[in-house]
Amino acid sequence: MTMHRSLELSFVSLALALGAVAWAAPEGGTLKIVSSLPRTGSANAQTTTIVNGIKLAIDEVGGKVGEWTIQYQDMDDASPQRGNWDPAVEAQNANSASRDDEVVAYIGTFNSGAAKVAIPILNRAGLVMVSPANTYPGLTKPGQGEANEPMVYRPSGKINYFRVVPTDDLQGVQAANWAKDLGVKRVFVLHDRELYGKGIADVFKKQAEKVGIEVVGFEGIDTKAPNYRALVTKLKATTPDLVYFGGTTQSNAGQVAKDLRSGGYEGKYMVPDGCFEQAFIEAAGADNLNDNTFVTFGGLPPEKLTGRGAEFCSAYRTKYSADPEAYAAYGYECGRVVLQAIARATSKDRKGILEAISTTKDFDGVLGRWSFDANGDTSSQLMSGQTVHDGKFEFVKVLGQ
Amino acid sequence: MLDFEVFVQQLITGLSNGMIIALIAIGYTMVYGIIELINFAHGDVFMLGAFLALTLLGLLGMESWGPWGQAGGVATMLAASALFCGGLNWSLDRLAYRSLRRSSKLALLVSAIGCSFICVNLGLFWGGLPMEVFGGGMAAAAPKDFPALIPQTNLLGDSFIRITPADLLVVAITVPLMVGLTVMVKRTRLGRAMRAVAQDGVAAALMGIPVDRVIGATFFIGGALGGFASVVYALYNNTIGFQMGTRAGLDAFTAAVLGGIGSLPGAVLGGLTIGCVRSMSDQYLETRWTNTIVFGILVLILIFRPSGLLGAARREKV
Amino acid sequence: MRWRPGPIVILLGLAALVPVLDLLLPAAFALSEAVRTVFLYAILALGLNVVTGYAGLLNLGIAAFMAVGAYAFGILTCEIYPFQFGFWSALALTLPIGAAAGVILGAPTLGLRGDYLAIVTMGFGEIVQDVLKNLDSITKGMQGINPLPAPALGGEQWTADDERKWFYLLFVLLALTVLAVRNLERSRLGRAWFSIREDELASRAMGIRAERAKLVAFATGAALAAFAGGLSASLLSSTGEPNNYDFQASILALCIVIVGGIGSIAGVLVGALVMVGLNSIVLVKATAWMAAQGIGSQGNVLLSPNNWKFLIFGLALVIAVRVKPDGLLPPRLEGTRR
Repeated sequence: MTMHRSLELSFVSLALALGAVAWAAPEGGTLKIVSSLPRTGSANAQTTTIVNGIKLAIDEVGGKVGEWTIQYQDMDDASPQRGNWDPAVEAQNANSASRDDEVVAYIGTFNSGAAKVAIPILNRAGLVMVSPANTYPGLTKPGQGEANEPMVYRPSGKINYFRVVPTDDLQGVQAANWAKDLGVKRVFVLHDRELYGKGIADVFKKQAEKVGIEVVGFEGIDTKAPNYRALVTKLKATTPDLVYFGGTTQSNAGQVAKDLRSGGYEGKYMVPDGCFEQAFIEAAGADNLNDNTFVTFGGLPPEKLTGRGAEFCSAYRTKYSADPEAYAAYGYECGRVVLQAIARATSKDRKGILEAISTTKDFDGVLGRWSFDANGDTSSQLMSGQTVHDGKFEFVKVLGQ
Repeated sequence: MLDFEVFVQQLITGLSNGMIIALIAIGYTMVYGIIELINFAHGDVFMLGAFLALTLLGLLGMESWGPWGQAGGVATMLAASALFCGGLNWSLDRLAYRSLRRSSKLALLVSAIGCSFICVNLGLFWGGLPMEVFGGGMAAAAPKDFPALIPQTNLLGDSFIRITPADLLVVAITVPLMVGLTVMVKRTRLGRAMRAVAQDGVAAALMGIPVDRVIGATFFIGGALGGFASVVYALYNNTIGFQMGTRAGLDAFTAAVLGGIGSLPGAVLGGLTIGCVRSMSDQYLETRWTNTIVFGILVLILIFRPSGLLGAARREKV
Repeated sequence: MRWRPGPIVILLGLAALVPVLDLLLPAAFALSEAVRTVFLYAILALGLNVVTGYAGLLNLGIAAFMAVGAYAFGILTCEIYPFQFGFWSALALTLPIGAAAGVILGAPTLGLRGDYLAIVTMGFGEIVQDVLKNLDSITKGMQGINPLPAPALGGEQWTADDERKWFYLLFVLLALTVLAVRNLERSRLGRAWFSIREDELASRAMGIRAERAKLVAFATGAALAAFAGGLSASLLSSTGEPNNYDFQASILALCIVIVGGIGSIAGVLVGALVMVGLNSIVLVKATAWMAAQGIGSQGNVLLSPNNWKFLIFGLALVIAVRVKPDGLLPPRLEGTRR
C-alpha cells in the first residue's frame, strides 16, 4: 500500500516536472494546416485553385509564423468510386485531423453536405474549421435552415466553424435586386438540384417575387443530361426576359447557356459565383455569353482589388501563370485568416488558435475588410456584379449600392 | 396554336436526341447479342472518341476553314473517331475480355466496369493536354467547348419551330449508318457469322467460323458506331467532358434493353422512345421527374413485354 | 477431429485486432476508422451476395435499398420528425422496411430474365434518387437528415468519438450477419436458391416454388442493404445526400462480391476489404502521404497523384478478375460452385 502510494506520488511529480519543462521550453515546433476538398473528379478544377490560394498564403510567410514551422496537407475528400465527395472519406479526414495533435486548422469543405459531416467531428475535437466555399446558410445561421440548425453542428456548445464566403441568402437576394435594376419583368429560375444551386435559386425566387418580378417557372435540371433543348423550348414559351440558373460550371451552367442560345432564347442569363471562373466561359463558349450574361460574386473581382488584393493577384499570376479566380481568392483568404490567427494566438494550440480566429476583426483581406460575426460568418456583405464581354468577365458594379 | 408548335418542337428535339442514343445503343446491343456482356466501357469509349475529334479540330485549326473545308473536317473527324473507337473497343476485348470468355458473365462485367474507370481517367488526362481547345489544359476536369462547326441557326427563319443544320446532320449520319448496319448483319458473310456466334458459339466454332475474330469484329463495329455517335453528339451538343460517357452509356443501355437487347431495330426504337419520352416529360411534367418517368415506363413495358419492345421471347441459356 | 478455423473465422479474427494494431501505428495511419467502412460495405455486399450469388439474380440497384434504410432510420430517429425512435428500435425496423421495399420492386419484376432484371433494378436505383431529391418536404432533399442518434448501451449514450465502441459494434453486427447468411446458405431455402441459379426449369420440375424463393432472396438482400444503410447513417450522424447511394455505390458492391468470390461469404469479406480498402484507405492515404512529401504538382494533370485514382481503381478490377476470374476466395462447396 505504501509502496503503491509512493509510486503514484513519484509519477505525479515526474509528470509535473515534465510539464514544467514543456511549459518553459522555447516556442517553436510544427503546426499543421490541412484542407479537405474533393480533389478527384469533376470538382478538381475549382479545388486546385483553392489549394493554390492556400499554398500562396503559406509561401508568402515563408512557411513560418514566428518560430513555428507551418506544414500544409492537401487532403482529398473524394473517392474514385464516387468521383465526388464521399461522406466516409470526409469523416475519415476530419477524424484523422482531430487525432493529429499538430493539426491546428482545417480548411474546407467545398460542398456544404460534406461540411455537415465534418463540423461536428471537428467541433468535439475543438479544431477550428474555415471554409472557402460552403454557402448553405443553415451551417451557421439560426432560423435559415432546419429548426435544429446550426446547433446540431456544435455538440460542444462552442463555435468552431467559420467561412469567408457570403451565404446563399445574401447572394440570392442581391442577385434578384440586381435583376430588378436591370429592368427584368419575367424570370425563369433553374437550379441544379444540389444544395448550393437549389438553395440560392430558392432565395432568388423569393426575393424576385418580393421586388415584383414575375417568376414564370422554377425547374430543377438533370445535371448529367447531354443537353437542355426540351427545357429551353418549354421555357421560351413562357417568354421570360431573364433566365436565372442556380448552379456551377460543374453542374452544367455552360451547357444551359449554349442550349438557351441555340434554342433561340435571346434574353438575359444570370448565374451565381459558382460560375465565376474562366472555365465557365470556356465551357459555354464566349459567343453564347457575351454582353447578356450576368454573374454575381461575394467580393470584388481580382482586377478591381487594391492594396492587399492587388498584391495577391500579381503574386498569384507570377506563381501559377494564370489569373486568380473566385475560388483562388476564397482559398487564399482562408489561408491568410488562419495564418494571421496563428500569429495572434497567445497559445499556439487548437484552443488558442480557435480563439484567435473567432476574434478576427477588421481583417484586411482580398475580399474586402471584414470580421467574423457571432455565428462564424464573414461580416462582408460586399457583392459585385460582372458581365461577360469579349470572352472575359467584366466588372459592372458593386451590388446593393 | 403555340401548343401544337411546342409539341412538334419537342418531337424534333426528342427524335434528334433519340437518334444519338440509338447509335450508341447499337454498339451495346451488338456486343450483348454476341457474348451477353453489358459492355460498361462502351460509353467511355464513346467519350474518348469525342476527345479525339476535338483534338483533331484543334490541331488542324478547322474553325478557320471555309464551309466546304469544314464539311471535309467533319468527315475527317467522323472517320478518325470511328476508327479510333473501333480499335479501342477491339483492344479492350483483346486485352481484358477475351481471356474471360469461359469465366462467369459477371467476371466479364466487372472487367468491363474496370475498363470504364480506366477510360474515364484517360479522358481526364486528355482534357489536360496543353491545347487551346482544351482551355490550355489548366482545368483538365472542366467541361470542354466543342466549336459549332455545324451552325445551330434556324432553317425555318423566325418560326417558333426550329430545325437546324445540326438536327439535319444527326439524321444524315445516323439513318444511313443504321440502314447500312442492318443490311450488313442480314446480308454479308460477316453478318451471318455474327448471328451464328450469337446463336451458339460452340456450334459456330464447329462449323469453322473463327469465333474470336468474329467477336473482335463485332467489338470493332460496335465501337466504330460509338465513334460516329461521339462526333454527332459533340457537334449537336457542343460540349464534351470526361464524365459524359456514364450518362450516355446509361441512356443507351436503357434504350437497348427497352427495345429488346440484341435486336438492332429494337435499339433504334428504344433510343427514339427514350429521346421522346425525355423531351415530353420535360415539357409537360417537370424536368426533375424525367428520369423517374423514363425508368417507370421502362419497368412498365418490361412487365408487359418481358423481352423488350422488339426482343424475341426466348428462354435464357442454362 | 481437431477444429480448424475456416477463412471466415480467420478474417473476422484479424479484423477484430485492427484497433490493437492502431495503437502501434502513427495517428495519421490509424486504420480502424476506415475498417468500419469496410464492415458496412461487407454487410451491404453480403446482402447482394444473397441475391446475385445465391439466387443468381443480377441486381444493379442494391444501393437504393441502402438509401431506403438510411432514410428510414433518419426519419424514424431524427429530432425534426415526430417519431423519434431510439437507435436500436429504428435499426431493427430498417430490416422489415428494406424487405418490404424489396418485395415491392421484386414482386412484379422477378419474372424477367437475367439482364432485363438488372436494368429494372438499376432504374429503381435512379427512381429512388429522384424521389429522395424531389420530395424535399419529407426527405429534406439534398440537405440530408441530421443529426442521427448513436447507440446507447446500458444507459450510456455514445457519440461518434467512441471509436472503439463503434468499431466493435459494427464488428459484432457483421459477425451476426455472417452467421445469419451462413445459416441461410445451408438451409432448405439456400439449397433452393442454388438450384434455381443453376437450372430454374429443373428446379421447378422438382417442385421448388421458384417465384417465392426468388422473392425471398430479393427481400433478404434488400433488408441487409437497408440495415447497412441505417448503420452508416447513424455512424455519420446524417443520411448524407441522396447521391451517396447512387449507381456507383451499387457498382462498388457488385465489384466486392465478384472480386471476392461470388457465392462465398469469406470471398465477400475479402472483397470488401480489398475494394473498399483500395477506394477509401489505400488511395486516400497514399495520395495524402504523397501530398505531404511534396510529390506531384498541380500544374500538370499527369503529375497530380489524385488524377490517377480512377485508373488505378479500374486497373485493379481488370487485373483482379483476369487473375482470379472466380474471385479471390471462391466458394468451396461443390453445390455452390458456378
